[in-house]
Amino acid sequence: MTTPALVADATIEVERASKWFGQKVAVSDVTCSFGPGLTGLLGPNGAGKTTLLRMMAGLLRPSDGAVTVLGSDPRRDPGVYAGLALVPEEDAVYGFLTGRELVRYAADLSGADRSGVDGAIEAVALQDAADRPISGYSKGMRQRAKVAAALVTDARILVLDEPLNGTDPVQRAHLITMFRTLAAQGRTVVVSSHVLAEVERMADRVLAIVDGKLAAAGDVAAIRRAMTDIPYRLRIDADQPRRLAATLVDAGHVSSVKIEEGTLHVETGDLGALGVALPAEAKRLGVRLTGVEPEDESLESVFRYLIRRR
Amino acid sequence: MRAFTAITRVTLRQLLGGRRLLVLLPLAAIPGLVMLLGSNDMTALGAFRFIHEAPIAIVYLIVVPIASLVLGAAALGDERRDGTLSFIALRPVRRPAITGAKLLASWIAASVIGGVAAALPAVVLGAGTGQWAPLVPMILGAMVSTAAYSAVFMVLGHITQRAVLVGLVYVFIWETGITGIAPGLANVSLFRIGLTGYAGMVDGAPQLLDEPLGALTPGMGGALAKAALIAAAGIALTAWMLRSRDLASEAG
Repeated sequence: MTTPALVADATIEVERASKWFGQKVAVSDVTCSFGPGLTGLLGPNGAGKTTLLRMMAGLLRPSDGAVTVLGSDPRRDPGVYAGLALVPEEDAVYGFLTGRELVRYAADLSGADRSGVDGAIEAVALQDAADRPISGYSKGMRQRAKVAAALVTDARILVLDEPLNGTDPVQRAHLITMFRTLAAQGRTVVVSSHVLAEVERMADRVLAIVDGKLAAAGDVAAIRRAMTDIPYRLRIDADQPRRLAATLVDAGHVSSVKIEEGTLHVETGDLGALGVALPAEAKRLGVRLTGVEPEDESLESVFRYLIRRR
Repeated sequence: MRAFTAITRVTLRQLLGGRRLLVLLPLAAIPGLVMLLGSNDMTALGAFRFIHEAPIAIVYLIVVPIASLVLGAAALGDERRDGTLSFIALRPVRRPAITGAKLLASWIAASVIGGVAAALPAVVLGAGTGQWAPLVPMILGAMVSTAAYSAVFMVLGHITQRAVLVGLVYVFIWETGITGIAPGLANVSLFRIGLTGYAGMVDGAPQLLDEPLGALTPGMGGALAKAALIAAAGIALTAWMLRSRDLASEAG
């Protein structure tokens, strides 16, 4: 392993891959690899995750660079798909089929044993709805049906694009456990998500992508550490904003304070200390706090920050 | 073979479900209705002549191309539109097997419509005059043209989302217009392929169809060979596009 973006026993290799659609660059010069275990592909919506996954799966041809799966170009060698299954993000399911028929169809197309159909349905806890048409499924149920269709193929590589979208917390926990189990069995499991907390719960290794570029790679703890350097911005509503602002400016843990239209905009490098000091100061001054909200906590801003640091 | 059968089966359900059939089945009834109303009170010879005018024109120039267009273009077009193309394309299945199964399914589906449309006027003729000779050739001729049309429209459905619009222009400008004006182009006219097959099987038909057939030689063997060639080209071309073109559009 030479960089955190590369692994030694790679099953998927992405080498200087770029993809553009007309004038728009969706993925730019990305080099990374994926091997056995669970890798989270993290990034805000529109960052290029889906395009990268589609290139890895052979749905899109790189405009530049190369992608190989199990040593072959999936665009040229359909045999690769005996070892790769994709769960796409969009509602790419046949509404007129039942869940069981969809999974059976996947088994037939992949040459997998039909005896695995029931097991795949059970693995995603879809038994009760398996014989109902997919057109009547909720988004979460469709997601699980697609995951079951991937599981039945017994593929060595699972590429899952936002598989937890639309699932409820119980289903999410169940799926995360399942993905981890599959990874522990030695499969390459790549899961994309725009929710950091989700990725933290399931992946040991994370690749962060922003604006089509690889922004960070490594274990989750390293990404977290990088994020602690980011100044947090808060919006504070109070009945006496100027009085509160004067006190906060004097406090050591606040780096800047602005007042706009009666609202305080505070930047701090130590959110914990501010969290303790703010209510105490407000109480001391007799200031009534009516709202405290993070202003800049989106993953997008976090990763834009990481990009700027590179 | 298992994948081929599975794709054919699911595509047939995809094509014959929903509202398509509700539109296409009434269309298929039109030639029979025209025959029923138009041949009323005619002699056996008059009815035999009449079936080779309006009813056969409606079958070969309208019903067969439109059914093939709607169903052939949907064979891969629906998968592309609905995002399900990855479900069949990302499988260890040779691309020609995928496109071959798609063509087979759309041909079967369109043949049901074209076959009904071809059979009804022939049944009216047979029931009214006892002349049943055109029945089977009408159905076979329609199926032959359907194979050629389905192959062309499957390619079109994979290339553009406006396949039906482009296909209608092709049918009504090229097939009905230009190939009729320029006799040399009759060889590449898809509806005439089925018509030559039909004419080769029914005594007296070539004389009654001399205007659309022109210099073409009637015969089912030649018609089958041409349709098979076009179908093979359609399968190969679409398979090549599955390998070489992006199978998904821009995404985040």
